[in-house]
Amino acid sequence: MIEWVHPGLIFILGALLIPVLKGRWKKVYLLLLPIAALIDLLYMSTSKGVFWSIPLLGYELVFGRVDQLSLVFGYVFTIAAFCMTLYALHVKEDGQHVSAFLYVGSTLGVVFAGDLFTLYLFWEVMAFSSLFLIWYRKTKTSSEAGFRYIMVHIFGGICLLAGIILHVQNTGSIAFDSFNWGMGWGYLPSYFIFLGFLINAAVPPLHAWLADAYPEATVTGAIFLTAFTTKSAIYVLIRGFSGVEILIWLGAIMAVYGVIYAVLENDIRRLLAYSIISQGGYMVAGIGIGTAMAIDGSIAHALCCVLYMALLFMGAGVVLEMTGRSKFTELGSLYKYKYMPLTLLLYMVGAFSISGFPLFSGFVSKTMVVESAALIHQPIVWLLLEGAAVGTFLVAGLKLPYLTWFGIREKDKDKEPFVESKTKAMKEPPKNMFVAMGITAFLCVFIGVYPQALYGILPYSVDYNPYAVSHIIAMSQLLLFTFVAFWLLRGMLRGTPTITLDTDWFYRVWGKKFIWFCEKPLISFADSIDEKVRRIADSFVWFSKNPPIASRIMMLTVSMVFLRPFNPNPLYTRYAHDLEELRKLYPAEVHRLAIGSGVLLVLMFFTLYLIIYLTYGVLWV
Amino acid sequence: MGIKLEQRHLFGILCVCLAASILADVLVKFHGQAEAQAHTAFLWQTIPGFSAIYGFVGCVLIIVVSKSLGHLWLQREEDYYEKH
Repeated sequence: MIEWVHPGLIFILGALLIPVLKGRWKKVYLLLLPIAALIDLLYMSTSKGVFWSIPLLGYELVFGRVDQLSLVFGYVFTIAAFCMTLYALHVKEDGQHVSAFLYVGSTLGVVFAGDLFTLYLFWEVMAFSSLFLIWYRKTKTSSEAGFRYIMVHIFGGICLLAGIILHVQNTGSIAFDSFNWGMGWGYLPSYFIFLGFLINAAVPPLHAWLADAYPEATVTGAIFLTAFTTKSAIYVLIRGFSGVEILIWLGAIMAVYGVIYAVLENDIRRLLAYSIISQGGYMVAGIGIGTAMAIDGSIAHALCCVLYMALLFMGAGVVLEMTGRSKFTELGSLYKYKYMPLTLLLYMVGAFSISGFPLFSGFVSKTMVVESAALIHQPIVWLLLEGAAVGTFLVAGLKLPYLTWFGIREKDKDKEPFVESKTKAMKEPPKNMFVAMGITAFLCVFIGVYPQALYGILPYSVDYNPYAVSHIIAMSQLLLFTFVAFWLLRGMLRGTPTITLDTDWFYRVWGKKFIWFCEKPLISFADSIDEKVRRIADSFVWFSKNPPIASRIMMLTVSMVFLRPFNPNPLYTRYAHDLEELRKLYPAEVHRLAIGSGVLLVLMFFTLYLIIYLTYGVLWV
Repeated sequence: MGIKLEQRHLFGILCVCLAASILADVLVKFHGQAEAQAHTAFLWQTIPGFSAIYGFVGCVLIIVVSKSLGHLWLQREEDYYEKH
């Protein structure tokens, strides 16, 4: 007998009650749901296996595949959902909460899905519920970014569906397990599913949607976005494509790619969005490496990343909320005027975590993935991942806080930074946002200081000691000297009022060109065909008004064409004159025959027909 | 806050940290030769100060390469997508 509910259901059904409650009760309810889900998960962890399986059309749908891998992701998603909900507690619009909870619930649905149909169902719900977190910002750019976001995800969903259908046709089973991988047409289903997963994981060149859409979301919605789509994609990659070698290289490039773009960014949340991509690179590379330690490392990194990324976005969100701005060209010198120093502090906890400072969560997870690259003797991958760590510290730990809090824009040297609403008189964010950041920061430090809490729940047993002296020394050197280089070159990192073109250029520019092509050339072509047909029909109508004269006009026109070479020609001029008169008078009086002549003609015709009919077969065949 | 940290104090602390990290590396590498070798998979990890150099050079490279890519190719004005 099953005593517990699917945790995703708690969120999804729970979301329906949100509009019903009011005031304080609603806030309590919002916070209780993630806690209830977490308790539910803890119950589930006592007995692993396959639950909630429903037969459908000869296949077996599995809603609850409970094992260590899915549980671990379930834990981090619910804990993060709690912190994020706390951060968003002040939001009055019910729709935002409902969307967020549907999003979390469907992510949990994906995590515990044991078969491909269930996976696909929740995958699509995730895409559409997260869309609203972008659209609720209600600006022109956010509605456009939202459209591009959902277009990309619909495309990804179609790839996934195509792969699933082909896979089910080939194997006859809808179980969600490791997919066969190789080269050749026979692996086409795996390629499609792989593509669908890669899009959600934001692997370049299919990553542009993330940097495009996440910075346009609401302040509170963005926090939710950072965790669920990308990390559930990591989960499904682990399930389906562990050890696929191409992932190693995709991951290593991804890690560096995100950093390079982040250096160029002017918007603080877009910089962090590129950091999400960069961090994802570590996880993807680890999945590709495929050893127990690498997979453990990817999972550990995913868990830590959910928390510190949420914290970083929370900090940036506070800046946006309090100042109304998110661009480096518009921010600066917050610290000088004592604006949000504690926010800075909590932000830096997240920054140290993402950079992999010892005593913070990133150090115990990121180094595990990098070490697993060393163990399989891949020097280039190791160097790229280490290089990305340098870059991550540079952008998230140095550039962003420096330019936002300490940098001074030349023209505003002596002015106070503009704060959206002076009546708020806030030098720190609202309490709920602050406490949410505090809890998340605490978790980041807790994992860093006591990694066993994290290692203990990983699927494979961990034989890795992050606090080996050589690791600490290496990381300290890396980070300290990165700081030195940053300080010397900090002038080069000033914000510029620019955007950076990314792979979305292709569909944004060519998409517009395609629409232009449909609207202009294609439609004018269709119109011109319409026009020509109409002209032909018109000419038939013209002809029918007075056929004898019309025929004469036509004959004259043709004769004139033939006579034109012999121009000074009395016949030609006479024809031209006649033609002109006829055209002017058209349709002139139709020449009528007397009725008798018409009847005579008809009689002659029928007589002829009678003769032919009677003699057919006799005189001729 | 009791003690006021002036810029030169901070600079001094930084230098001490930098030196300490290199020194610790040298000490660990030359005192525990055998165990140092066991941990490392790559040749360069045995060089003391490698991570320091990699961090510094890496950071400079990332900044220079990114900025070049931006100026020469990828960066456009903010309303680029509206105009095209």
